[in-house]
Amino acid sequence: MKRWFLCLLLLVFASGAFGGNALPGDSVYQFNAPLVDQDGHAWHWADRRGHVQIVSMFYTSCTMVCPLIVDTMKITAQAAAEKNDARLGLLLVSFDLARDTAGVLHGYALRRGLSPAQWTLARADVDDTRKIAAMLGLQYRQLPDGDFNHSSELVLLDAEGRIVARTNVIGRVDAEFVHAVRKALAEK
Amino acid sequence: MRFAVFLGAMLGGVAAMAADYVPLPGGTFNSVLPADGQNAPARIAPFAMRAEPVTNAEYLAFVRTHTAWSKDQVPALFADGAYLSHWAGALSLGDAVLADQPVTEVSWFAARAYCEGEDARLPTWYEWEVAAAADAHRTDARADPAWRQSVLDWYGRPSSAPLAPVGGAANVYGLRDLNGLVWEWVDDFNALLVSADSREQNGADKARFCGAAALTLQQKENYATLMRVAMLSALKASDTTRNLGFRCVRSL
Amino acid sequence: MSRLIPLVLLAAGLLPVNLIAADGKAAAAPAVAANGAAVPGDLGPPQGEPIHALLGVPPHVPPPIHRNYPAKVIVELEVIEKEMPISEGVTYTYWTFGGTVPGSFIRVRQGDTVEFHLKNAPDNKMPHNIDLHGVTGPGGGAASSFTAPGHESQFTFKALNAGLYVYHCATAPVGMHVANGMYGLILIEPPEGLSTVDHEYYVMQGDFYTTGKYREKGHQPFDMDAAIAERPTYVLFNGREGALTGDHALSAKVGETVRLFVGNGGPNLVSSFHVIGEIFDKVYYEGGTHAQENVQTTLIPAGGAMMAEFRVDVPGTYVLVDHSIFRAFNKGALGMLKVEGPTNKAIYSGKEVDSVYLGDRAGDNLHAVAVAAKANASGTLSKEEQVKAGQQLFEGTCSVCHQGSGEGMAGVFPPLAKSDYLAKLAKEKLISIPLHGLTGAITVNGKDYNSVMPPMAQLTDDEVANILTYVLNSWGNPGGQVSKEEVGKVRAQPAAAGGEAH
Repeated sequence: MKRWFLCLLLLVFASGAFGGNALPGDSVYQFNAPLVDQDGHAWHWADRRGHVQIVSMFYTSCTMVCPLIVDTMKITAQAAAEKNDARLGLLLVSFDLARDTAGVLHGYALRRGLSPAQWTLARADVDDTRKIAAMLGLQYRQLPDGDFNHSSELVLLDAEGRIVARTNVIGRVDAEFVHAVRKALAEK
Repeated sequence: MRFAVFLGAMLGGVAAMAADYVPLPGGTFNSVLPADGQNAPARIAPFAMRAEPVTNAEYLAFVRTHTAWSKDQVPALFADGAYLSHWAGALSLGDAVLADQPVTEVSWFAARAYCEGEDARLPTWYEWEVAAAADAHRTDARADPAWRQSVLDWYGRPSSAPLAPVGGAANVYGLRDLNGLVWEWVDDFNALLVSADSREQNGADKARFCGAAALTLQQKENYATLMRVAMLSALKASDTTRNLGFRCVRSL
Repeated sequence: MSRLIPLVLLAAGLLPVNLIAADGKAAAAPAVAANGAAVPGDLGPPQGEPIHALLGVPPHVPPPIHRNYPAKVIVELEVIEKEMPISEGVTYTYWTFGGTVPGSFIRVRQGDTVEFHLKNAPDNKMPHNIDLHGVTGPGGGAASSFTAPGHESQFTFKALNAGLYVYHCATAPVGMHVANGMYGLILIEPPEGLSTVDHEYYVMQGDFYTTGKYREKGHQPFDMDAAIAERPTYVLFNGREGALTGDHALSAKVGETVRLFVGNGGPNLVSSFHVIGEIFDKVYYEGGTHAQENVQTTLIPAGGAMMAEFRVDVPGTYVLVDHSIFRAFNKGALGMLKVEGPTNKAIYSGKEVDSVYLGDRAGDNLHAVAVAAKANASGTLSKEEQVKAGQQLFEGTCSVCHQGSGEGMAGVFPPLAKSDYLAKLAKEKLISIPLHGLTGAITVNGKDYNSVMPPMAQLTDDEVANILTYVLNSWGNPGGQVSKEEVGKVRAQPAAAGGEAH
């Protein structure tokens, strides 16, 4: 379903609906990192152009805040749009490259009931992971025991990949952020 | 004139290729940022570090061959509006900028790209810190008040005067200018997780930073080094400042 | 943050409700109702065009606010790191809010929505932020304003509590940022404003820590160990010795009213703030809402402030001090308020307080000293320049006891004028007196003296040389010249015992 949508999106790109326009200078799609999603499919960071997305970073074995990040993305999406509204993408990038294989990400998505229509759980290589975090203004740091310290923020990307809002309110809906999501969807 | 510029570029190119890398043994190191946020030492693999920070001439040579990194072409995502703003032109330094001054007004993305071009990478904080802990005779001079004062003296000097050229006194490894010339980017600048309000102590705001909470400034007597951490943690990856340059390392 | 305490107390049933109501008297009911807001001090949404705040350069403050509605106020404050004199011939690298110590004075009205822009100048080396004690919210804005050099942060807050509040930098190491001068005051006026006065002045105390000793010449770096040990080299008003003395003194006329906004940046010391010769009619202690009347000395905690109001009735010079008095006379905590006008003998009989109290810390008018120091450095110092500089220094340091006329005080302080004692003294011995002091019985011009003159160790070699040259060439003394090399030689020798025996 999701792949089908992506293909459609690519067609739309190819037909010139977006492709003809130059990217804004501050678009995170200026950098086109290769990623792999929970189904093992390779895709590129900038493939998401044309999509409003809520993005954050996490790792699946995190028991403290990461489940809350996922929940917060979920309730934020529900507050801002129809359930599983495919116009709003939810993207989680893992920084645990040792443990979060595509298979592990897949299992996590199943367990948490994260519909592939809306959710992408992805990983990149070491270098690009640090770069993605830098672009999104997120911080993380690996601890000797393999766990991570990391900032907990949701970042809103508009269709052109500009960061239009961010929130560090976790565990409940940030009304201002929801408002920003609605606005981004309306402008698309 | 043209010829001079061309010659300069050639020389710059030569300098970049000839950049001197010095091997360091790595090992365990008591960082001001304990690895686990408590007291675990850092473990550092052997690496080689550029003896000097990257200069204007070297960076100019890079920009000439990677014009996407010239100030008129770089996207705002990768560098803020002040990127290379002290240079006279997109591909020229001008009279006010010396070839052998360390390059500043460069973003983390730009510094990273340069190092890749030199078959290297930015140092991690631990790599930078262990290298800078040395003085002329010892690999770890941090307990010496004289070492600390020399670091602090630089903080205490306003930066109204032009930057000195690279090539200060060498430390025991043969590395120069780690302290006392410019701030330097590290690859994991966004892993330092120092809370923006340094008075927040451990666990004050667990939801903001997962896991062991924000690193707070543990060994307060190491404030000279911690001030560098504070500086790095104030930065975004696209930020540039007048006193912020970089050097590269290679894994061994 | 300060809001939290009443709320907690109220919840615990510890605070009478009427006290809260008194606090809220200013919070005009209509605005609150219109907004439906239950937050005390919130006077509703901002009205009218946004206002760019005027900032006060110490010792001045922006004019009072005559506005009867809450507005959006835009404050732009730039952090500047710069070298400035901390004392005559001594420089220090300050980190400042707005280029001055203390930082620019911010003045808003209760209920205003403040849009704060913190800029960190491109030439700066350090990241900085700001914690405003007048902000209700975690960290007082510190986390929202962490700013790298060449960048700007913006955050918005509503000024809920009227009062006088300290702001400061809270970047690690916090103590060092504060010790380098990163503090100032923000006044949140109550909606009805403050009472009208003739003068308003802005003074802030701070302690400074240098590796060199008090008044040791040249550029002096920050000394972290001294700061941790809480042993300041300087305790100063407005960041510099002499910032409020001499030509920079505060001024008023007889019969006028004065309001002082006084803060204490710390980082370490608590101030026992006092104005010699004046009684504060009112002190809004701790910068709060209530006033105490008829106050002599008021405590200002580090990171705290107070407002004092008084009427000046007698002309003369009033000296602002930290009444922990060694700080005033040995570390620089001195300022002056000069009051001009007709004397009123019914209130005070006369006689100036100046020279006695100011002692050797009078001034910023040491221009001649600076000229001499420069000439000395370049090896072109003439006897005339020495005499001129020596006179300035004498009036600062020596005239307290020996009097400006050199006549001394009968039976206590021996005269220097037409002194037979000086005339017969060997040069070496003459030099040793200011350096090592003089204790014991001596006879000058036929009169016996037996007292103690302490060593003036804070004076440099060229300062001693200039003072002695001035003395030798004044009041009928025989003349002569002392060089700084000669002083240096004597300083290197051990102190000799005083008295006639030598």
